Amino acid sequence: MNLFQIAFNNIKRRKVKMVFLALGLIVGVTTAVAFLSIIESMTVDLGDRIDEFGANIVILPRSEGQEVHYGSTLISNISFDIEKLTLEDIPKIYESSVAEYINIVSPKLVGAVDINNQKSLLVGVETQKEFIQKPWFSLQEPLKEGNSIVDLALMEIPDDGIILGTSAAEALKLKKGDEVSINNRSFKVFGLLKKLGSEEDGLIYANLTAVQQLLDRPGELSMIEVSAYCNACPVEEIAMGLEEAIPHGRGIPLRQAALFREETISQFSTFGYALSGMVLLIAALVVLITMLSSVNERTREIGIFRAIGFRQGHILQIIFLEVGIVSITGGIVGFGLGSLAAKYAGPYLAQLQGDIPLRPELLLPAVLLSTGLAIIASAYPALKAARLNPAEAIRFI
Amino acid sequence: MSEIMISINNIIKTYRSMGDEVQALKGVSLSIKKGESVSVMGHSGSGKSTLLSIIGALNPPTSGKIEIDGIDLYSLSQEKRADFRREYLGFVFQQFQLIPYLTAHENVMLPLTTTRRSNKEKQEMAKEALVRVGLGNKLNRLPNQLSGGEQERVAIARAIVNEPPLILADEPTGSLDTKTGDEIMALFQKLNEEGLTVLMVTHNPDNVKYLSRTIMMKDGRLLNHDEQLITTMNNTIL
Ligand SMILES: Nc1ncnc2c1ncn2[C@@H]1O[C@H](COP(=O)(O)OP(=O)(O)OP(=O)(O)O)[C@@H](O)[C@H]1O
Ligand SMILES: [Mg+2]
Repeated sequence: MNLFQIAFNNIKRRKVKMVFLALGLIVGVTTAVAFLSIIESMTVDLGDRIDEFGANIVILPRSEGQEVHYGSTLISNISFDIEKLTLEDIPKIYESSVAEYINIVSPKLVGAVDINNQKSLLVGVETQKEFIQKPWFSLQEPLKEGNSIVDLALMEIPDDGIILGTSAAEALKLKKGDEVSINNRSFKVFGLLKKLGSEEDGLIYANLTAVQQLLDRPGELSMIEVSAYCNACPVEEIAMGLEEAIPHGRGIPLRQAALFREETISQFSTFGYALSGMVLLIAALVVLITMLSSVNERTREIGIFRAIGFRQGHILQIIFLEVGIVSITGGIVGFGLGSLAAKYAGPYLAQLQGDIPLRPELLLPAVLLSTGLAIIASAYPALKAARLNPAEAIRFI
Repeated sequence: MSEIMISINNIIKTYRSMGDEVQALKGVSLSIKKGESVSVMGHSGSGKSTLLSIIGALNPPTSGKIEIDGIDLYSLSQEKRADFRREYLGFVFQQFQLIPYLTAHENVMLPLTTTRRSNKEKQEMAKEALVRVGLGNKLNRLPNQLSGGEQERVAIARAIVNEPPLILADEPTGSLDTKTGDEIMALFQKLNEEGLTVLMVTHNPDNVKYLSRTIMMKDGRLLNHDEQLITTMNNTIL
């Protein structure tokens, strides 16, 4: 017989109350763990995206007072004094002062075209370079070789092949294999891209040379997308180095997408922390009320304990042991449920593509959170129990 | 070693509740020797339980001094007083006051819970105490599986398990039938013969014959010898 056994016996006897107490804690810990996991995954995801975008630079022709938008429906190319970008600019990049940082150079020609009487944006790319640079591009019906999917970047896209983003395909009502006439030249839909959730969904991709011929702009480029080797390298400096090499070009670091995402995450985490905090506060109240009523119910019992020689400290120990046992259990269960919630609800809540991994390192903090919260919340009931006047407690019985 | 177990000197106890003042004890002095068995009698509200709880180190007096075995109870700290209760006192209450979710054996072990003894030793001691009160065969019963008399025996076993020198009992036979009450009183007599000092509050004059001395209380005071004699005579006549 020891204090632990007394505490344990009491938990067994007050199952409903203790389950209620545990539930309060479980809900609190579940919420906190779920949000922490999701926020963490979003941050990792952001890191990945910064890897994708962070060191990319777009070189556009320098034009006075004229904005050229990549991805918008209109790209102005009617300009007299603009020196255009051409394929001849590509070698200059490799000869520039920042050549050592350069990884992939993907030249593009963008033009508005008529397809089925609809204005669409056609992007001519060197497909292998473009799709290596954008590994998150993939086909809706990927080509398979045996069991493994053939990477889009490794595919040979025929000269008359086009690849459509989801919105473009929807707008034009095109599917894989359809024949389509663009500016009186016949093309065939090679494949549809998976939805990306960005403006790129509205674009149509084709081979650079084919587009140059189609638009009658041989050798000409609208932009050159350059990706650098490192994440931490100074993108602005690289952009300047490129501008030196191509004086008629303007180097623009592509970071906005990542910044936008960062904003979303910070809003989401504020919401997550606020909600978790609120739920935890309610959990603390549940603990407080449950333990207060438990202590009130046990007035007589505590009086007996005190009368037969239990110290105030022993009463505190019994109560905290009880709360400890229940809250450790609550912490472990809450961690489990929170991880499950993150795994199944997370991708939906946070619009994440990938899986949210289990984070075992959160188990200990979850248990500590649960126990800490429960002990703080039951401090008052415990003190009340310990300070109970034993003579009073057994007087009226 | 002193011969005196309990020494009480001019104790006054005033209860204050919501502006109301009740003087439950109005100057009580008393001395009880080791090995005595004393019954405290008196009308309801005369202050018997109050006196017992003060002797039991549970209820500080408003003024006056009380020593048990030479220890000034209320000069001890709260926690030391709890230790004192554990080592010196065994309580037996009217309603038995057993813990309903613990077996007879575990209830008796309770006072040993906070002592430094091995679990095995605790179990042995509790079993021995239950054998002493004649319940060696009902160790694993829960209180609600025992009769009133048996529950009272468990309560007594719990009071003596720690081998305290002094037993305090507040109407231990109050809720038992006459036959069972007599058995319990015989048990107290046996324990007293084995060396324990017993102080018992009782309403039942039949219990008095099991004990060596009777103290009468009235309105917060002890009756003196002559007054006691008269009251006892009255009781005998009635
Ligand atoms: N905690 C308390 N607060 C206020 N008044 C109290 C308290 N305890 C006892 N009293 C009062 O003190 C007086 C003595 O009470 P006590 O319980 O000692 O009497 P008693 O002799 O044990 O009575 P009974 O035979 O009914 O048990 C009573 O008037 C009672 O109302
Ligand atoms: Mg009383």
